[in-house]
Amino acid sequence: MSAHTLSFQNRLTRESIALSFLSNLECSGCGTKYSHKQIHTFCPLCQSPLVARYNLDAARQKVDRDQIIRRPKGMWRWHEFLPVLSVENQVSLGEGDTALLRLNRIGNSLGLSNLYVKEESSNPTGSFKARGLAAAISKAKELGIKKVIIPTAGNAGGAMAAYAARAGLRAHIFMPKDTPFANIEESRIAGAEVVLVDGLISEAAGLAGDKARNEGWFDLSTFKEPYRMEGKKIMGYELAEAFNWELPDVIVYPTGGGTGLIGMWKAFDELEALGWLKNTKRPRMVAVQAEGCAPVVKAFQEKAAFCDFWLGAHTIASGLRVPKSFADHLILHDLYESKGIAVAVSDEAILEAQREMATQEGIFAAPEGAATLTAIKELIKIDWIQPEERIVLFNTGSGLKYLNYHQP
Amino acid sequence: MGHKILCIEDNPDNMTLLKRVLESRGYSLVEARNGLEALAKAEYEEIDLVLLDINLPDIDGYEVARRLRANPKPNLAAVPIIAITANALKGDAEKALNAGCNLYMSKPINLQELWTRVETFMSATK
Repeated sequence: MSAHTLSFQNRLTRESIALSFLSNLECSGCGTKYSHKQIHTFCPLCQSPLVARYNLDAARQKVDRDQIIRRPKGMWRWHEFLPVLSVENQVSLGEGDTALLRLNRIGNSLGLSNLYVKEESSNPTGSFKARGLAAAISKAKELGIKKVIIPTAGNAGGAMAAYAARAGLRAHIFMPKDTPFANIEESRIAGAEVVLVDGLISEAAGLAGDKARNEGWFDLSTFKEPYRMEGKKIMGYELAEAFNWELPDVIVYPTGGGTGLIGMWKAFDELEALGWLKNTKRPRMVAVQAEGCAPVVKAFQEKAAFCDFWLGAHTIASGLRVPKSFADHLILHDLYESKGIAVAVSDEAILEAQREMATQEGIFAAPEGAATLTAIKELIKIDWIQPEERIVLFNTGSGLKYLNYHQP
Repeated sequence: MGHKILCIEDNPDNMTLLKRVLESRGYSLVEARNGLEALAKAEYEEIDLVLLDINLPDIDGYEVARRLRANPKPNLAAVPIIAITANALKGDAEKALNAGCNLYMSKPINLQELWTRVETFMSATK
């Protein structure tokens, strides 16, 4: 047992609180409840994603918000609201508590006085995917799962391979053959079996699902298990803390599968139920997609409840090449509820924004992150955001993963 | 409601699931386990909508869609077809739409979405 784990356990004993207030799983569609002590994927009755629920009434009585602030940094300091029941099963590589950086130069040039970026590239394996996979792999370990499989557009594969290695689980990954080389190699070096697919993540998902059913692998596809969202939602907790328990006005989020967007909205629900927020004002959520793959934008414009499958998806932002998210209806629900919007941006504008973030602010963003800067420029044009609003962009990963787009 | 849905699906578990959700909404289901059986049933049943699994044991779902679209009966040739696949391969969606399907969905299908989609087609044909 590591010194870190020992000190963590000592602290838990001192504080006399539960490691987690996880109470059950609940279907996001039909509301059926399931035990968190058993392995579940998605709802067998209506095939909607399952969502983890916590005993927030008890947590409200027993957890001190300001005590959490004093804990060592990292995602697991919010352990009461994460699904892992035992410290031994927390698989960590140091994820979470990424920097919230003010973008002064870009903000000034755009006439925005409170523009920020949540810099997720400092997570292990260089992307926000570390959060979700840390939670999912930890819970898989706790539930006795030995081998995990994932279809990925890129960064989720690298993150899963790393956390699976750390947990001692076997990992199998299906990814499109044009996935950035860094994602392929980081997965392979961590010991994952990698299969390159002639297609998109939707095709990879079909193959992963088949292998999971036929050979007993546990499928960690986005929203086909309940726990990746729990890791991602902590981004919402961190934002609330950073803004002194008042949420920002606008969150601009690159949206492929939508785990982070849905997760943060869930975090805000939980924080409100805990009574930790100073007011009930919520951010307007902005989903950013690429023009070459914009199913959420199309559905939003049509005021639809579900997305149509996007044909011929193409964009340099590989994380946005998701023709239809399994949780599309939840993304759309949260956009509508937050009075948000969905925006599509071109690859050319993404590359331009990537260069601008690097030259003006020193941030080498992933194309998905750069897309958020492009999106706010579009929103300024239509007067959708105001100069003094507190706006948070999400850079979901490191531009270093995508060097193939910058070769001469 | 009384609308009739032709459900072409060779997997008994999937058929049971679809039957449960659609019958609970008041639709009546005509079941077919393969493509040729489906085409035969479509000839004598008054079908309002088709749920079409692409991976079938005899002719594939694309061929079923093409034959339905070429049917001399105007109602059958224009019947809404929702294509469903389990193991989506590159270009499956395009192939389904080119074969005459109105909508493409990949498994696992959110049953609330399926019901919503079916309702939309039904209200358009009322």
